[in-house]
Amino acid sequence: MDNPKTVLKSALSRRTFLAGAGTAAAAGLIAGCSDNSGAFTPTTSGVSDVDVLNFALNLEYLEAEFYLRAATGLGLTTADIGSNPGTVVGGAKVPSLSAAQQNVVNEIAYDEQQHVRALRATITAAGGTPVSRPNLDLTNSFAAVATVANTLTVSGAAPIPSGFSPFADFNSFLVGAFVFEDVGVTAYNGAAPLISTAGIAAGYLAAAAGILAVEAYHAAYVRTTLTANAYLMGTTAYPYLGFANRISAVRALLGGSNETALAGPGTAATTTPNATPSTVVASDTNALAYHRNTDQVLHIVYGTFSNTAGSTTPAAGVAKGGFFPNGLNGNITVTQS
Amino acid sequence: MANQETQLVDNIIASRRAMLLGGGALAALALTSTAKAAITVSSYTDADILNFALNLEYLEANFYYLAAFGTTIDKPNAASMAAGGPSAGIGIGAGATTTGTAATIGIGGMVPFALPAVRAYATETAIEEGKHVTFLRTQLGGAAVAQPAIDVSPVAFTTVANAAGITGTFNPYLADAFFLIGAYIFEDVGVTAYHGAAPLLSTTTQGKAYLQAAASILAVEAYHAGLIRTTINALDPNNSSGYITLTQQVSALRASLSKAVAPTSPAYPAGTYGDDVPLTAGTTTYSLAGAAAVSATTIVDADQTNVIAFSRTTTQVLNIVTGGHAATAGTKAQGVFFPSGLNGTFA
Repeated sequence: MDNPKTVLKSALSRRTFLAGAGTAAAAGLIAGCSDNSGAFTPTTSGVSDVDVLNFALNLEYLEAEFYLRAATGLGLTTADIGSNPGTVVGGAKVPSLSAAQQNVVNEIAYDEQQHVRALRATITAAGGTPVSRPNLDLTNSFAAVATVANTLTVSGAAPIPSGFSPFADFNSFLVGAFVFEDVGVTAYNGAAPLISTAGIAAGYLAAAAGILAVEAYHAAYVRTTLTANAYLMGTTAYPYLGFANRISAVRALLGGSNETALAGPGTAATTTPNATPSTVVASDTNALAYHRNTDQVLHIVYGTFSNTAGSTTPAAGVAKGGFFPNGLNGNITVTQS
Repeated sequence: MANQETQLVDNIIASRRAMLLGGGALAALALTSTAKAAITVSSYTDADILNFALNLEYLEANFYYLAAFGTTIDKPNAASMAAGGPSAGIGIGAGATTTGTAATIGIGGMVPFALPAVRAYATETAIEEGKHVTFLRTQLGGAAVAQPAIDVSPVAFTTVANAAGITGTFNPYLADAFFLIGAYIFEDVGVTAYHGAAPLLSTTTQGKAYLQAAASILAVEAYHAGLIRTTINALDPNNSSGYITLTQQVSALRASLSKAVAPTSPAYPAGTYGDDVPLTAGTTTYSLAGAAAVSATTIVDADQTNVIAFSRTTTQVLNIVTGGHAATAGTKAQGVFFPSGLNGTFA
């Protein structure tokens, strides 16, 4: 009998290998996506519903700690982080928010906090054990992402200033939030078809789809606000849209493409409506939101392709890094590709 | 930000003056007080579910095309093509047939947008909803239903607005703010419809592939809804222009037509109705870990405990888009945006 990690590895490898296969109908759908390296096959063998839910819980811990600290300076309480919680590095109340800005930060913080609670309760109800909060890094991680982002060629984007902190001010917060939100969408979207038939009957699919929608609402808030400000001021006077596009380029690099850069009005503010569309929605050529497999999500949140320094191709065996200095908790923690 | 928000509000002050606000009770539509509606179709296929979605996409795409380009989806024009839309008309006939009956537009037409960003949003959304129509038709192939009779004229919107207690004529094509409220009527409905439909899809390989597509469209509808709600909230964060009130009136109507009852515990925010949470001008109170209660917006339309987006059954959605005419099981729901009902099994 193989140990669980080996079984998991083979299951995930098979899933990745099979991406793009399936019936003619499935292949037709997949061919319709412009960037579909993240396609899952429907099989769920080897990964339980609880594994998938715990994978999501790790991501919700990260988001909740980020938004709660941005909103109030305080993170999750002991009741919500499990019996063996890791530490959280960094995070602080964003200063000088207007009332309107504070209200939105408060809302998203609440939403993510409740997602942590809902997932923990769901996992328990499913007979599983919710993983504890892993070690999280909200300081070095963002700085590292910004450093990588500045090495990439991104049209119309100024370099992100050194020492970037998403907790410095509201606009920097938006860029920090941008790091997470579309990742949440793609991760939930990728996970939805993994849920078993029994899990669908138990309501896990409906819950995952409902959280997927909420993450998309959040992503839309962040992307709309960055876009609206750029229209008012132009992308030179308001460089944050360009910063976000640098972040998007990093995610595309590590996460199998699956990105839509934000369209601004150009370098000058726009005062006359024209017919150029915005790109608030991150989606493919069929206007379908992207989905990523767990490996692609892990590469993004670990901030690296490979354990081999300087490697520029995704590799198996990456177990930690970036926002998760000791890796995720649970059974989906190590990249298989 | 205060300056930006002030500027935004200044830019649309003219449209604000034209906006007819009103209180008033729910009226006019065939509201019923029966128990929460449920699926009344005993047997259905994945194609039936996709066709239900296709009906809704026809509606949304025609509204946004008209607002952004001044035309229906089957009649591309210079504006739609300049924005990246297809040069051939989007198909609206059954199966592979491209031609059919165009949507009724009345005096509706391209919105004379004052805000460049809102024009860009309308343009983006029109193109994306058009792609959803084409995508679903492609997936369904010969099984695709034709576009039913669709009414996106100001007459249909006025009927809905009046039922929501918004008095006078409501023309979503008049100016930016009217357009945003018109879009508000649809977007959260799309989210709840796809959310409700996703678990109905089969667990065959094909069904799973459809599920991936449905989840992806669900996400896009939520992006759209988030875009619309964020923009309304940014234009009027304190409800001084009354836009927040309008969202509350629309949400109350949707929840009423959905026949969803607001839970009493936990208490929902003021202005919250069953399965629909409107904007609240930052008056919502949340309890954050480690902190005292805080005030918050409600950009997200979701249940207030688990913050999971609402889902609606096909019957609930039918009742909303037909203005309360899905009250009788076994009788085709017809009215408002779908004067002859939807095409397909779920109708």
